[in-house]
Amino acid sequence: MNEFIERNVRLSWHAAKRSYEVVIVGGGGHGLATAYYLATRHGITDVAVLERKYIGAGNTGRNTTVIRANYGIPEAVRFYQRSLDLYASLEEETGRGITHRQKGLLWLAHSETGIRAERARAELNTAFGAGTEYVGPDEIKKICPQLDMAGGGVWPILGASYHPGGATARHDRVVWTYAEGAMQRGVHIHQRTAVTGLIMDGDRVTGVETAAGPISAGAVVSAVGGHVTALASMAGLRLPIRTHPLQAFVTNRYGLGFDPIVSSSNLLFYASQTAKGEMLLGAEIDRQPSYSYRSGHHFLQSCGHRAMTLLPFLRNLRVLRQWTGVCDMSPDYSPVMGKTGVGGFYITTGWGTWGFKAIPVGGEQMAELIATGETPDLIAPFSLDRFARDRTMADRGSAGTH
Amino acid sequence: MTNDKSLRLIVDGSLVEFFAGDNALVALLRAGLHPSQGGCLCLAGDCPHCLATVDGVSYVRTCQVAARPGMVIKRHPSDAPPPLPVGDCPGTDIIARHIYCDVVVIGMGESGRAAAAEAQRDGKDVITLDAAAGQEVIGIYPGPLVVARTRDGMADVHPHGEIVVATGAAEIHPVAPGNHLAGIVTARAATRLAVAGIDLGRVVAIGTPPEGIAVEQAAGELVRFDGVDRVEAVVMRNENGSERKIECDTVSIGLGLCPRDALLRMGNGLAVRAVGAAARTSDIPACPRAGTVCHCAGVTVDDLESVRARGFHELELVKRATLAGTGTCQGSVCLPYIRSFLADRGESLQPPFTARPVTRQLTVGEAAASSYHQATPRTALDGEHRRLGAQMERAGGWWRPWSYGDTVGEYWAVRKGVSIGDVSTLGKMLVSGPGALELLERLYPTKVATLKPGRSRYVLLLNERGYVLDDGLICRDDKTRFTLTFTSGGSSFAELWVRDWAESWRLDVRLLNQTMSLGAINVTGPLAHELLARAGVGDPPQYLHHRTATVTGILCRVFRLSFTGEVSYELHHSVADSVTLWRRLLRLGADLGIKPHGVEALLMLRLEKGHIVVGQDTDFDSTPRRINHEWAVKLDKPDFVGRQAILRTDKVPLDRQLAGLEMEGPAPAEGALIWKGSDYVGFVTSSVFSPVLGKAVMLGWLKLLEGELPAELTIVGRPARRVPTPFYDSEGSRARA
Repeated sequence: MNEFIERNVRLSWHAAKRSYEVVIVGGGGHGLATAYYLATRHGITDVAVLERKYIGAGNTGRNTTVIRANYGIPEAVRFYQRSLDLYASLEEETGRGITHRQKGLLWLAHSETGIRAERARAELNTAFGAGTEYVGPDEIKKICPQLDMAGGGVWPILGASYHPGGATARHDRVVWTYAEGAMQRGVHIHQRTAVTGLIMDGDRVTGVETAAGPISAGAVVSAVGGHVTALASMAGLRLPIRTHPLQAFVTNRYGLGFDPIVSSSNLLFYASQTAKGEMLLGAEIDRQPSYSYRSGHHFLQSCGHRAMTLLPFLRNLRVLRQWTGVCDMSPDYSPVMGKTGVGGFYITTGWGTWGFKAIPVGGEQMAELIATGETPDLIAPFSLDRFARDRTMADRGSAGTH
Repeated sequence: MTNDKSLRLIVDGSLVEFFAGDNALVALLRAGLHPSQGGCLCLAGDCPHCLATVDGVSYVRTCQVAARPGMVIKRHPSDAPPPLPVGDCPGTDIIARHIYCDVVVIGMGESGRAAAAEAQRDGKDVITLDAAAGQEVIGIYPGPLVVARTRDGMADVHPHGEIVVATGAAEIHPVAPGNHLAGIVTARAATRLAVAGIDLGRVVAIGTPPEGIAVEQAAGELVRFDGVDRVEAVVMRNENGSERKIECDTVSIGLGLCPRDALLRMGNGLAVRAVGAAARTSDIPACPRAGTVCHCAGVTVDDLESVRARGFHELELVKRATLAGTGTCQGSVCLPYIRSFLADRGESLQPPFTARPVTRQLTVGEAAASSYHQATPRTALDGEHRRLGAQMERAGGWWRPWSYGDTVGEYWAVRKGVSIGDVSTLGKMLVSGPGALELLERLYPTKVATLKPGRSRYVLLLNERGYVLDDGLICRDDKTRFTLTFTSGGSSFAELWVRDWAESWRLDVRLLNQTMSLGAINVTGPLAHELLARAGVGDPPQYLHHRTATVTGILCRVFRLSFTGEVSYELHHSVADSVTLWRRLLRLGADLGIKPHGVEALLMLRLEKGHIVVGQDTDFDSTPRRINHEWAVKLDKPDFVGRQAILRTDKVPLDRQLAGLEMEGPAPAEGALIWKGSDYVGFVTSSVFSPVLGKAVMLGWLKLLEGELPAELTIVGRPARRVPTPFYDSEGSRARA
C-alpha cells in the first residue's frame, strides 16, 4: 500500500474563456495560491491560471521543500513566519494532506565568525516572532545524533542556531491542494497554455496572448518563475532579476531516522530526509546565470562530498536521482511583489531560493492586493520600486541554498 | 562449470554455495532464494526485483555484481525500505579517473561493437563502457561528460566527438495479478538461467519464447499468475473469452522491448546518438487491466485509474500523484504501461518522462569520488603563530591567529608599545602598463591621477549598483604602476572584478596577483619608529607614503598607514623571508616589550578608530553614503563604476546609516538589536569593550526616524548613545606621529 498516492484531491478542468477578471500567468505554487486566496478570501472566482506545461512543473515541483522563517531582517521574519503559520493550518483549512512535517532546522557554525552570525540570527528571529535559539555542541548532538561534530577533522561543528519551526511539506500536494481549492470555487486552470505576449492598451496591460488566442483580463499577475524577465519586458519593465540554476539530489528510500533539517553556511549544503525516506541533499545556486534545467556532475560530486563530511553515514547510501530548478535572484536576496507601475499588471517574483516557503503568504498577500487595490503592509517593503527608491532589503538570512 | 566448495557467500546469515562465474543473483537462485521474495527477474539491470544489500550497501542489483567468496548479502525487508545506517560509515576514498578520447560507445552488444569498430576504422580514439564488464554509466552531462561507475573507481570520460548509446532494449515485464510472485522471468533471463544450470522446471512462455529451452507456449491474453510465494500456474484468456489455467514452475515473459534510451534523452542537445535496439521506438504493451504496475512505489492499475479519475491526466502528473516511476528503476518497468494506460483512456500516447541522472545506482561516496574541500589557506607564518600558542581561527577565508592567549595584553602592546601582526592575508595586486591609470580611474571612486608616486590612499571598490564590494589601498609606485590591496576575504572576487573590467575596456595593462607570493607584517604602536630604526630603517616613509627599504636585511616595501590607530608600517616581502623577518623583529623588539597581536585584538583596535570591516559592518546593498564614507567618493570626476547609481540614489532621502555607538558596561554581542523606545531601529555589527576608553564601543545600523538618526537608544536593555567616530584619537594624531 502506497500511502503517497493522491486519494483526495480532485482536479476539474474547463474550456478556456476569452476573458477573465484576473489572469495569473504561471501555474506554480505562487500562482495557484494567489488564485486560491482570491477565491476563498475575496470571493473573486472569475480567474484563470495559465500554465505553459502542467501545474507545478516548474520550480515549485523541483524545490527541496524547506519551510522556515529564520531570516535576517524583521520584515522577512514576519513575512515568512506568517507563511509558516498558514502552512501549519493548510491541512485543516482544506481537508487535504500536504505531508506537512515540523522537523526543526539546525544551521551550523564552524568558526568564531559563524557563531556570531548564528547568535545574531537567533536574537533577531526571537524578537520578531520566529523562534530561533542558539545551541551548543551538546544540544546539537541531541537534535541530530548523526552529525560528526569533528566535521571530518576539517570543519568542526562549534555551535548552531536551532529553528524549531523549520518544516517540510510535499511540494506537489501543496500545488494540488491550492489548485483544487481554487477550481472548486470556479477558478479555471489551463495547462499547456503558454503566454506568448501581453496585450497593452496604451500603458495598461489588458490581457495576454496565448498560442490558443488572446485572453483579455482586468488584471494580469505574473507568477512566472525563470523567464520572468522576458515576460515583464513585454510590459516594458526591466526587472533586476538574474536567474540561476539550483540543483539537488536524493538517495533511494531508507527507513525514517534522520529527523531535522541540517544546514551549513560554510560548507553550503543542507540535508533532510523526505517522508518517503529518501535523503535529500542540496547546495548553493550555480554561479553562472542560466535558465537550464540540466543537471551537472560537479554538483553531485561536490555536494555529496560536503554532506558526507558532516554526515558520514551517507557514504554508502545509494543515489537515486538528481535534478535542477532555477532561481530568480534579486540584488538584495528579497522577493519582489506587488504593483509594477504598469496599470493592470502585478508581479510576484524574486523568489530566489525562498519561494516554496512563501507560497501561502505570497498568495494571500497578492490576492489581497489584487482584490483591494491596496498593497498590504506585510509586502509593502518588497515592492519593485524599492530599487529606484533606494530602499533595498539586503537579507543575510537568505542563504543562496534553501 | 565446477562446484568448488570454497565458493560460498552469506545470505541473511546463512552460507550459500555458488559456481564460478555466477553473479550474485544467479547464486541466490541456485540456492532457491529470490532476492526480493518475488517479482519478474530480467538479469539485465533494468528492474528492481533483484535489489539487496550487498556488503553493507543497499539497493544493489544482484544481477550486476559477480558473486565473491565471503560476500555478505542481506535481503531488503519485504515490507519496508532498508534501515538508515547507524554510526560512522568508514570507507576508503574512491578515485575518479579522467579519460579523454574521441568517441565513447556505451554498451558492447552487437551494435555497440559495430559502432566502436567503425569509429576505430576512421582512426578515432574510442573508449567503450560496458555494463556487463562492470562499467555502469550513471549519466551524460554537459561537457560532454560521460560518468561511469567501474570496478576500480569512477571513470569521467570526456569525448571530443560523439557519444554512442548502444545500450540495447529492456524487456517489458508483465502486469497482472500475481506478478509479485517468484518464478517469473523475462525470456532472455530464462535462457541465461538455463545456461547457468538453474533448474527452471516446467516453463510456460507468454509471447516471444526464450531461446534454447523447451517450453509450453501460452496463447491468449495474460489474466493472472497463481501461487503462494512462487508461481504455480498462469491463467490465460483466449479470443472467445474463456480462461485456461496452465500449471508450471516458471513463466517466461516475452512481451516486447522498450529501448534503454534514458542516456540518449538525458544527452538531448549534446552529440549523442543511439544505435541498435536503443534507437528503436518502444513497444507499447496492451493496456493493463489489473495488478502492480510500479513495484518500486507499489502502484497498481487501480491506483492509476483512481488518480486519472481525479483529473491527473498528464503523464508527469500521474507519476507525481502515484510516485510510479520515481523509485530505483526510474520507470524502466512501469513507463510502457503508464503510457499504454493513458493512451487507452483517451489521451494521446505521451512521450516518456524526463530522464535524469543517475541511470545506474552508485553510492554517495562514489558520487563524491576525488572531491576535496577547498583548502583554507595558511600564511607562511602559520608555524610561528602556533609555536607562540595562538588559537587559530578561520577568518576572511584564511587560517589566522585569533589570539595568542592574552588579547588585552596584545591590545595594550599596540596602544602603548610596539606589536607585530601577520597581515599576509591581505589581497595584493600589481597593476602596470600604459592603461593602468585609466583602468583605476574608471574603477575607483577616487581621483587616482592626483595620487603622486610614493603615496597611498584608502579606497572603496564599488559595483555598478553603487554598493561597496571591498575596500583597501591604492598605492602609486610610478607613472604607470600601482599596487592595490584588498580585504582578506574579498581579494579573490576583487581580482576577478579588476580583470573583468580591464578586459571589458580593452586596456593595455598587466595584472599580477601577489596575495600568495608576498607576505605582509604590520609593525604598529608608538614604538614602531624605534623598532624600524633598529631594523635598519632610520628614515621610514611618512604617513600614507611608501618606499622600498631593507628591513633586518630583508628587502621590503614599507607602507606607512594605520588600521590600529597607532603608527603602523606594513612590510611587504617575499613569503620566503616571512619567518626570518618575523623572528628578527620579535628579537629586536624584545626589550621594548614587543608582542604579536591576533585578529581579535586587531578588531578591537580598529573599532576604536571606527574603521569598518567590509562584509561585517557592510551589507551587500551598502552605498558609501549608508556607511558614512561619502568622503571616499569623488562625484566630480568622470565616470567610474557605480557613479551613475550613486548620482541617482543620492537624490533619495537616506533610510539607514552605519553609526558609532557607545554605552557603559560590557559590550553586547554582535548582532544585538537596537531599539528606540519600543521601535526597532537596527542592529550592532561590531562591538567591543574598549580598554582605553573604559566603555563599550560599537558600530551598528540605524534607521532614520523622521529624517533623523536617533541618538538615545537601548541595546540589551541598557541605554546607549550614538556618537561620532573615531571613538579614540579623533584627530588621528597618533597614527601620524
